[in-house]
Amino acid sequence: MRRRRARRAGTARREGASEVGTLALQLLVNGILLGGLYVLVAQSLNLIFGVMGVVNLAHGSIIALAGLFTYWFSMRTGLSPLLVLPLALAGGAAAGAAGQRLLIEPVMQAGAKAGLLSLIVTFGLSYVLIELALQVFGSDFVSVPYLQSSWKLGALAFGKALVVAGAFAAVMSALLYWWLNRTYSGKALLAASQSPTGALSCGIDVARVRLIAFGIGVGLAAAAGVLVIVIMPVAPQTASDLTLLAFVIIALGGLGDYLGVAAAALLLGIAQSVAGYYLGGNAEYVLPYVLLLVVMLAGPGRFRRLG
Amino acid sequence: MEEATGERRGEPGLTLGREAAAERRGRRRWQAGAALGALAVVAAVPLLSTGYLLQLATDTLTAIILAYGWNLISGFTGYLSFGQVSFYGLGAYSTALLVLHAHLPWYFAVLASGVVGAAAALLLGPFMLRLRGILFALGMLGLARILGVVFNSWGFAGASLGLSLPAELMPVRIYVATCLLALLAFACNAFFVHSGFGLDAVSLNEDEEAAAALGVPATRVKVIAFVLSAILPAMAGGLVAWNRSYMDPSSAFNSSLDLQIVVFVLFGGIGTLWGPFLGTLTLMLAGEQFGVAFPDLQLALYGVVVISTVLAFPGGLVGLANRFGWLMRPIVLAPKTLPAVVPPARPARQGAAPVLEVRDLTVRFGGLTALDGVSLSLRRGEMLGIIGANGAGKTTLFNAITGFVRPTSGEILYFGEPISRVPIFRRAQRGIARSFQIPRLLPSLTVWENVVLASRHGRQSHRAAEHAAWVLQTIGLAPMWRDPASRLTPGYQRQLEFARVLALDPELVLLDEVMAGMTREEQEAVRGVIRCLPEYGVAAVACVEHVIAAVSDLCDRMVVLDFGRKIAEGAPAAVLTDPVVVRAYLGEPL
Repeated sequence: MRRRRARRAGTARREGASEVGTLALQLLVNGILLGGLYVLVAQSLNLIFGVMGVVNLAHGSIIALAGLFTYWFSMRTGLSPLLVLPLALAGGAAAGAAGQRLLIEPVMQAGAKAGLLSLIVTFGLSYVLIELALQVFGSDFVSVPYLQSSWKLGALAFGKALVVAGAFAAVMSALLYWWLNRTYSGKALLAASQSPTGALSCGIDVARVRLIAFGIGVGLAAAAGVLVIVIMPVAPQTASDLTLLAFVIIALGGLGDYLGVAAAALLLGIAQSVAGYYLGGNAEYVLPYVLLLVVMLAGPGRFRRLG
Repeated sequence: MEEATGERRGEPGLTLGREAAAERRGRRRWQAGAALGALAVVAAVPLLSTGYLLQLATDTLTAIILAYGWNLISGFTGYLSFGQVSFYGLGAYSTALLVLHAHLPWYFAVLASGVVGAAAALLLGPFMLRLRGILFALGMLGLARILGVVFNSWGFAGASLGLSLPAELMPVRIYVATCLLALLAFACNAFFVHSGFGLDAVSLNEDEEAAAALGVPATRVKVIAFVLSAILPAMAGGLVAWNRSYMDPSSAFNSSLDLQIVVFVLFGGIGTLWGPFLGTLTLMLAGEQFGVAFPDLQLALYGVVVISTVLAFPGGLVGLANRFGWLMRPIVLAPKTLPAVVPPARPARQGAAPVLEVRDLTVRFGGLTALDGVSLSLRRGEMLGIIGANGAGKTTLFNAITGFVRPTSGEILYFGEPISRVPIFRRAQRGIARSFQIPRLLPSLTVWENVVLASRHGRQSHRAAEHAAWVLQTIGLAPMWRDPASRLTPGYQRQLEFARVLALDPELVLLDEVMAGMTREEQEAVRGVIRCLPEYGVAAVACVEHVIAAVSDLCDRMVVLDFGRKIAEGAPAAVLTDPVVVRAYLGEPL
């Protein structure tokens, strides 16, 4: 399965760079653009994790499912995949809210064991979604051919698709950040994540906040899926890789720390782009897992200060 | 965690009675019958079977082995792992490589795989098990991914094409080996259910720090559990590789195998003896039927099963059986009746060193100085009261003495020996016992197990049981000794917290607000026990208390802390009228 995994668009574009300096800069640019996408991939999980203490292990399957749907849609209609974006946001949010009410909220009542039980529930859910995707979309790696050319700026080449996807993702993450920190409903959500009891006693309906957070988180994950499929090949089997990728970024950046997570996403994008170029696809693939172990064993806090 | 046997019957007294003993015999008989029946089925398979049935039986037993292996670390010890398949894959490759290159017979190769699994777990355990909860679960998942990539690109191991082995001509031999390994897996789990070691493991699942304060060597226990839970899948992997005559990275390090195992164990009942067996058997046979009908949807089915199990019956099949009083968990190390009281007889320590000496102790948390150069000492036979306003550093002082926080600077001497670097559990074993401000009981365990957990360390089991029985009768918890700790009223919970302190057979006792929120009568009972502590071999007592009146007549001396500094020390009467102390408590006069 990994053999079929095509090289990421960002790192495949080697031929243009001749000088070492230009090459480094090119890798950096690609890394940052990839990182911009990662911000969205991670931020949606961070929201759910931060508010509910639930690591949604079905996160990656939502991304994959949305991406594969986008592929199917744009192949069918010939329209721009970006048109799916609002649909993914809305559909994801609705599905997420429903899933939260049916599957997660009952488990949240379990007290101290809620975290692990929800982990198991979403683990099961991820397999249901992956199998669903396999049945509907098949097991091939696919990517939407969209804006295949690139903008040249001096010796640097900016892949158009990467720029557009990265920009969209960054804007959505920025909106999320603005909402959390500047609006009443967003602050209520932050409050509920820091102390559910405290928020409850301030008149915040914590159960409702959890519902909203999960809905928005899943909606954003679906939106991320739409953008991911434009950049890199996706198959149902990639789902758990995407979940872990998002989790690594959160562990790197610090749980609930939205700026830290954004920084970590960019860092990982750059690291992957560099590792992919110099060490090959296997290294690029395995890098997040190695980082995951390093980060967790060295302690997230300590690592965040480095990044 | 299922509830223990005694609670169900709600026995009020100390004895089980003739009726219950008969029931216990009946249960033994039932278990023996079940075991014989299972053995008959197991033996019948190769005699009667076609190749298909034999393969199905072998596969089912393999899944049972994996389920029991996973249950050790994730069920009993509570470290949820999504990456035990790492050991399965390592074992599979070890067997394949040893057969191909060292020309070992397959059964030796499988045994060697067990050693490889153990070695890998021993190396990884101390690091990985520092992670908790989700971090450990995903860390293990990441590990499986890394190993998958390594074997995918390692030419010697066939890279992505994998390795082919000579075919086994007599699959019955593999079946027999798998049966033996399954028995071993069952025995490991039975050991966890019945032994003191298993009790230690379960205590980690509940509250690792509280367990350490009761003398449980947490790291050692969980590494051993991890190693055992690695040996089983490693050997199972070896058997599978030999059985299939083939192994490649994507089937060796396949995370969906872990999903299946998690589903099997949860469905049967996590952290129970029979859960993994029942769950695997049911779902493997059902899954086989389902798989024949809908070959592509098996994983989706498992997903649905795991979700509905967690939502509808979290205890799994065993949890359901428990409702009818079947398959109950035995109470670990419990005697039939509480033995007669044997007061502890421990020779007092020789030497003139004070029990505790704290020298210039400073503890900082980031910018906050919780303790600032505090010095104090506790002589033998002395009781010291430590008072001070909230945030004065009283609990931090206890945390530093017991090892819960690391001092920034300063020294702590216990009977003249420095203990600043001694781990929590060893301090507890050496006789430093503490109570927690909010009782940290192990709620799913019984009162008896909570106490015997603490009395077990450094004793043989029967001595531990005697001591635990003495403690329960002394504290007055004997009538409810078989009840789960979670069912106790708050007052009894505090008494149990106190009982665990005594169960350690301590020489230095640190009591952190044991009387807070107690009625006058309860306070009087606790005061009675505190007065008796010297008789029980306790050399010195230090207590933090807000209810100053309740301790001032018990204390020989008092120390007053204010914002991390010691501001007064001396006889209670003198300290309590000291203007400095009055000012610290009441503020500056206007």
